[in-house]
Amino acid sequence: MQRRVSLLFWLAATLFAASPPKPVPPVKFTDTRLDNGLRVIISEDHHAPIYAIAVSYGVGSKDERPGRTGFAHLFEHMMFKGSANVGPGEHFLLVFTNGGTMNGTTSTDRTLYFEVLPKNQLDLGLFLESDRMRSLAVNAENLENQRQTVKEERRLAVDNQPYGRTSDRFPELAYDAFPYRHSVIGSMEDLDAATVEDVKEFFRIYYAPNNAVLALVGDLDTAATLAKVRKYFGDIPRQEPPKPPDFSEKPQTAERRELIYDRLARLARIDVGYKLPQGGSPDFDALRALNTILAAGESSRLYQKMVKEKEVAVGVSGAPDQRIGPGLFRFVATIPAGKPPEDALKVLDEEIARMQAEPVTEKELLRARTVARRSQISPLTSVLSRAISLADDAVLFNDPGRMNTVERRIAAVTADQVRQVAAKYLRPENRTVIITVPAGAKAGAE
Amino acid sequence: MPGFNTTAPRFLLAMLLALPVAAQQTQQQTSLSGVTRLNKAPVSAEVLRVKLPRPLEGRLSNGLRVLVIEDRRAPTFSLSLLMRAASLNEPPEFQGVVAGATAAVLRLGTRTRNAREIAETLAELGGSLGVGTSFGSQFTSVSLSGLTENLDALLELGADVLFNPSFPQPELDNLVQRQLSALIAARTQPSFLASERMLAVLYPKDARKVAAPSEEALKKLTRQHLIDFYNTHYKPDGGLIGVAGDVTLKDIVARLERVFGGWRGTPPEPPKLPLERPIKERKVFLIHRPDSVQTYLLVANRAIGRKDPDYIACMLMNQVLGSGPASRLFRNIREEKGFTYGISSGFSASHYFNDFMASTSVRTEVTAAALEELLKEFRDMRDRLAPADELDGAKRAMVGSFAMSLESSSGLLSRAILLREHGFPADYWDKYPEALTRLSAQQVREVARKYVPLDNIQIVAVGDADKIRDELKKFGPVEEYSADGKPRGAAVK
Repeated sequence: MQRRVSLLFWLAATLFAASPPKPVPPVKFTDTRLDNGLRVIISEDHHAPIYAIAVSYGVGSKDERPGRTGFAHLFEHMMFKGSANVGPGEHFLLVFTNGGTMNGTTSTDRTLYFEVLPKNQLDLGLFLESDRMRSLAVNAENLENQRQTVKEERRLAVDNQPYGRTSDRFPELAYDAFPYRHSVIGSMEDLDAATVEDVKEFFRIYYAPNNAVLALVGDLDTAATLAKVRKYFGDIPRQEPPKPPDFSEKPQTAERRELIYDRLARLARIDVGYKLPQGGSPDFDALRALNTILAAGESSRLYQKMVKEKEVAVGVSGAPDQRIGPGLFRFVATIPAGKPPEDALKVLDEEIARMQAEPVTEKELLRARTVARRSQISPLTSVLSRAISLADDAVLFNDPGRMNTVERRIAAVTADQVRQVAAKYLRPENRTVIITVPAGAKAGAE
Repeated sequence: MPGFNTTAPRFLLAMLLALPVAAQQTQQQTSLSGVTRLNKAPVSAEVLRVKLPRPLEGRLSNGLRVLVIEDRRAPTFSLSLLMRAASLNEPPEFQGVVAGATAAVLRLGTRTRNAREIAETLAELGGSLGVGTSFGSQFTSVSLSGLTENLDALLELGADVLFNPSFPQPELDNLVQRQLSALIAARTQPSFLASERMLAVLYPKDARKVAAPSEEALKKLTRQHLIDFYNTHYKPDGGLIGVAGDVTLKDIVARLERVFGGWRGTPPEPPKLPLERPIKERKVFLIHRPDSVQTYLLVANRAIGRKDPDYIACMLMNQVLGSGPASRLFRNIREEKGFTYGISSGFSASHYFNDFMASTSVRTEVTAAALEELLKEFRDMRDRLAPADELDGAKRAMVGSFAMSLESSSGLLSRAILLREHGFPADYWDKYPEALTRLSAQQVREVARKYVPLDNIQIVAVGDADKIRDELKKFGPVEEYSADGKPRGAAVK
């Protein structure tokens, strides 16, 4: 009798035990450099008859000069206004009327262009990207037109939004060196100042094959695709490598804090950013684990403490920003109506102090690892997200296959390392704080 | 049952010369507003046509249907359990509140787990669990996704949440407080203010007009309302389970049977609400949002139901008019005029909604100019036949994008569920490209005349009223509202 119970128990236990984790299949790819310096990464995936093409240029708002903030992004818009063999706006038309989709995006560090198309339109994607890398056509009329569009984008995302001024101001306050001391979208005055000559010069310096990575992922044959890439891109001349921006600034020694009265906001918000080292630093794996434990999702300490237990915030998030230059670990919390933002800041400080004083638990480390595992798995079902990762990680970290090691790297992080990075970076004198409060509690009311 | 392995092609591919591509072959410059075509790019004349795979089907012993799309690319799964717990079945004084709150608090406590334990267990298992209902949907859905290696543990957790909820009072209190703040934050967003007004205009008679829970209803909400809604509506009959990912039909049905097979019950029918004809008189609704530097424009009228035979023609017409950067609205109002960062239009057609809407944000100074251009494009669509190459481009875009949809298993599953929900035949998507290809410019113009509003257009503008009031009067009688959604009587005259 005793034996039968035991058997049943084990049977039930087997049924409900987790099956062992399968290793995440690595994304395989080829990595080739053409004679002109263009780095070409190709990865086959025959699941659906489509492919993604991503071109990441090593240029972003970090490369702008004083008086021309927002220029890298304005330039991105110009890339859709025509080249020697593609008319203004024809890019959109060719991609969308052939069943594809596309976009472009600019960050502090890089500018990315991508298309996803049916596989029989491989030549189309390669032609469109190579033609504008070789021969961007700019004129005053096109520039003026996109200047207006970008100014509307700024109004939409910043000037007509609550906390828009905060997002403008944060990098200005946090950084001393110019490359990161301004927003990506830039100021209206600087957008107005951009000239056709600026566009041509920027194109020559930064849009060279040796400053770009091309990634192709999808229902492709690697050898045949590489041959086509050589045909379309091989004769684009290389340029002098651009001068890297000077990120150097003195270590921060005191907290920087500002109060912003916002006419469009109705809830207060706190933005807190701690200076981080440059991207690729070994500390980032521990910082990423720390972020999962402290600030990511409903299981995180900040959510449980600030949103649920103390009710000093209605939402909270965190992210360690990994850049070519020095990054920021940014926390944002929105404050419930009628509560002081200082309460939220106080609880944030208490939770950070706890991260510095006590080791995180094994279960918390397991969560960080599991989140990493899912984030490594998630690009496997999207050709576009793999193409973007391959291209961007090559540009930013010289490591296109970085996505294949996420789980392994985070799994190696120890409780002690998490405590150490918390102590090293999340110090009050190393941070910038902006508290945004509604300018008029009655804004919009009669 | 088709085999499923990751290397062999699993979709029937046919390269068809389905559509003429004359414009691509002539090497000359042609024009279309906002675009200069040099026609030098190499374009394959063939449109890659694919057949969408149909889900495999199973059934649990309680009658719950199971639809499965097997996908071995990644060791993950995503599951949706749809129940006929319709938000429109809420008590009248709690419209927009009870169904959503029941769904939200459901996952915040069971007889044996508190909210924190649920969140931590999910994180440790690499899972996500959402319970939600969109307003005006016939369903409440439980979405569970995660790592396949933890499938059983995640199913057990999902079932615990669904079958043993404790609806803790402190969790409800916390949720209500957060919702009240969310409501305040929503009132800073032009798109929310515009939708709130437009829904009230288009669906004035019933709960479809509700854009968000009201402060009053949130404050009156009790735990008992949630328990009552749960006890009455969270029943399996008429529902279904869809699973996409690293599972097999046989195995997943067996696992689901263990967890959901004993669940029984019939929920009340979702209400039947009539789809009304378009509004006849043009009207402008101005919402004062002080300190705005842009005007958010939302124009609309009631249009077409999902089962109307004209629906596919409407999709094609909208592809030409307002879907994406190749469309007329984008090419003219953004690329040519530089009035906006983005503009688009679209139909909403479901059991309860039948409207056509277009929206854009433009700088305050060009509010009237942008609205005029928008109306001009609407008028052209109604009055003129679309040129053959433009129409062919739109058809190629739509047929070609089918290849793209094969990538997302959960997307394919949603398409299949949509067919079921509306009672379409299983070969609907197989016949769709053919039906699309056959449509003529005359048919497209005809549906534009029927469903793109002009003389009867409903215009909502959200912006700085003092700067745009006078010019908006040119477009029709103006009714003014505050950002709190209240009429601004005196200011109108």
